[in-house]
Amino acid sequence: MKVKNTGIHPLKDRQKRVVTGRPHGHKFTNWFLCKPESGIILILILFVLFATIVNPSFLSYRNVINISRASGFTLIGVVGMAMILIIGGLDLSIGSVYALAALICGMGMTAWGLPIPVAILLGLFTGLVCGAINGLLVVYTDIPAMIATLGMQYIARGLVSVLTKGVPIYPLPDAFVQIESTRLAGSIPIVVPFSIILAIMAHLILSKTVFGRSVYAIGGNQEAARISGINLRKTKMTIYILMGGLASLAGILMASRLGSAEPSTGAGLEMKVICAAVIGGISVSGGMGTMFGAMLGAFFMEALTNSLTVMKISVYWQNVVFGIVLLLSVLLDQYKRAMLRRNSIKTS
Amino acid sequence: MKQTVLTVENVIKRFPGTVALKGVSFELHAQEILALAGENGAGKSTLMKILSGIYPHREYEGKITLNGKECQFTGTAMAENAGIAMIYQELNMELDLSVAENIVLGKYPRTKWGSIDWKQVREEAEKTLGQVGLHLDTGTIVRNLNPSMQQLVSIARALYRKPRVLILDEPTSVLTEREAQKLMEIIRKLKNDGISCIYISHKLDEIFELCDRVVVFRDGEKISEHQKALGYDSSRLIEDMIGRRLVAMYPKRAAQIGEEILRVEHFQAPHPFAYGKNIIEDVSFSLKRGEILGLAGLVGAGRSELVSAIFGAIPKTHGSVYLEGQEIQIREPYEAIRYGFGFLSEDRKKNGYVWCMNIRENMTLVTLRSMVKRLFVNAREEEAQAEEYFQRLKVKAPGLETMITSLSGGNQQKVILAKWLMGNIRILMLDEPTRGIDVGTKSEIYKLMQELTENGISIIMISSEMSELLTMCDRIIVLGKGIVQREFARGEADEVRLLQASSCT
Repeated sequence: MKVKNTGIHPLKDRQKRVVTGRPHGHKFTNWFLCKPESGIILILILFVLFATIVNPSFLSYRNVINISRASGFTLIGVVGMAMILIIGGLDLSIGSVYALAALICGMGMTAWGLPIPVAILLGLFTGLVCGAINGLLVVYTDIPAMIATLGMQYIARGLVSVLTKGVPIYPLPDAFVQIESTRLAGSIPIVVPFSIILAIMAHLILSKTVFGRSVYAIGGNQEAARISGINLRKTKMTIYILMGGLASLAGILMASRLGSAEPSTGAGLEMKVICAAVIGGISVSGGMGTMFGAMLGAFFMEALTNSLTVMKISVYWQNVVFGIVLLLSVLLDQYKRAMLRRNSIKTS
Repeated sequence: MKQTVLTVENVIKRFPGTVALKGVSFELHAQEILALAGENGAGKSTLMKILSGIYPHREYEGKITLNGKECQFTGTAMAENAGIAMIYQELNMELDLSVAENIVLGKYPRTKWGSIDWKQVREEAEKTLGQVGLHLDTGTIVRNLNPSMQQLVSIARALYRKPRVLILDEPTSVLTEREAQKLMEIIRKLKNDGISCIYISHKLDEIFELCDRVVVFRDGEKISEHQKALGYDSSRLIEDMIGRRLVAMYPKRAAQIGEEILRVEHFQAPHPFAYGKNIIEDVSFSLKRGEILGLAGLVGAGRSELVSAIFGAIPKTHGSVYLEGQEIQIREPYEAIRYGFGFLSEDRKKNGYVWCMNIRENMTLVTLRSMVKRLFVNAREEEAQAEEYFQRLKVKAPGLETMITSLSGGNQQKVILAKWLMGNIRILMLDEPTRGIDVGTKSEIYKLMQELTENGISIIMISSEMSELLTMCDRIIVLGKGIVQREFARGEADEVRLLQASSCT
């Protein structure tokens, strides 16, 4: 377009141009597909319709509360994993860190006789340390994130076995067990608003702060980000430490829910969380995706698990369904990237 | 007279939209070293790709005759079997295989059972290595060799195929002076053994020393031929290479040049490919306020590495940087930015823009920090600032939210420039700022550079386009062989002198 220098106020001119820059009604489909959350919204709507038709009790208040409660735990992990994936990294250790943090917290309360808040802080600290080690490995050595965090997965899980010798820490103090069973407005489990607040905070960080913008920039083009003065090491370290903290938080809450610290808890959590984030539109190659989408992804994963159970579909088949859904959402991601690369998407 | 080995007759190669070779003819005699000279894009590599079978028969017009037989290659293997071997500029070897395997690769000696005859592999490898004067254990993994040894192994690999014609494309670009001398000796020996060579190089001193004849290319045509027997005239040769060009898009250069702002002393920067070597050996220079300093030199002279290392984008080996007389330490780009440096890199796609971001986000990548209001980025201010530069640089796009990948190269370059101009820069380093950009945008970028220097900003510009350097720069430093070859004040240099200095003659 021709830019005239005729004293038009830049802002007024901008408004005009921004309007022309956006696709119009007939391009709604295109516009919708370009949104990072488009895939998950579409899938979620179709899925809820389908599940409700098959079994009307799926949308009952009680069942929705159940799904939300389970989603809450997943969401805490997804918040961290979404950020790690956007920055172009990966963390496979979260399931083990989740278990280790819960265990340290549990042992703190029982074996070492620490006050509950101190034990909780100790558990959180464990997670932060694990995250920091992951971060150091990824940032300061050339070990790929997948391998570095796989190492941490084994180390943390191994430590759990060493400390418990396979026996759960049980029972945990009543006051601790009370934490997760707190209900808001009579019936909403505390983990639901808690995880949503975390997700909102992460959303604000990602979309409204310099730090968040740096995360996207690093995920999109690490070298360009570095040349533009973004401190790669600091940003990546922060993200990995945050992930460790969130994993331990989820683990401690789960221990409170179960009333015991189980050695096998959290196994396979990393895959579920990555799956949820990817279904929610987080790009596995970094740089793209939103926290809102990831949140819907977490909800979808739990809704799917729940509905398969409600529909009395064998547990054995559930993983097959997860796999198919995951592949479909990655295909959509690839398609979107190809469109971007082919310059056919003009709006973000 | 001399026997002719290879004849190229009237070869035309068309690409969509352009003609790379416009009917080229030349011949190569037995026991001759023939040099092909010409600027980038003159058509030398296209011709070599035809000779080595990369562009197969029927994709070009014309006739190629080797030893009296017409060649119609359909692939590189066929060219190799016919007796044309090529050694590429970038070493392409199997780094994790042994020396012996690299040499015989694709042409293994077999036992009578059909399995590989390893004993003969070693013997053959040792024999061909002997031809290039290299004596080492043929079981060594190629990755562990230094670049010059790798270069020799790749020549041995070519010799194993018993070629009549050996084509070498910039073979000395990764070698030191001494190694290059050794290589030239080997080529002379091969010549005496009956192999004809085609030698492609930008380095005129090497050509003059080594080659019996020089054919000059320009814009897909053969311009002239020079005989060693008649004596070479380097300025005639360079004139033939560059031709006469018109210049009419530069602004009038007039800036107040102030006191010294930047001084770089005894700078050393590592070689990007050759581990443990320096591409910049010892470079010192200074930059004044409001000055445009040009960095000239051939591809591989280390110009990009020099500015990247000053900016902290790659680690330097050694050297000090003084800003207004104070020594400063820069290890990472964010430190350079704090001191007021800006750096427009050579490869926009690689480290210029973030492809998944739009114009606004790419523009504010450097300065976003300054637009924060109570923890969060002030979206209004970000948009206003981006808009201001969108207008000022006349970016042609539907709006600020347009993805950067959907812009043309020139407009992408403007967005990246805006990223630096938004901040308080004092020194702007531009690495090939107009490469691959249309003439109109080029002219706008020149005007912008002029404006910036009027405001007291100093610019270091790397360019391979000589007319650009000559008209825009107040001073030009020519890099070559890791050091400053020459320094020209404004008006002192012309294209011939610049190219002479670049090619170290």
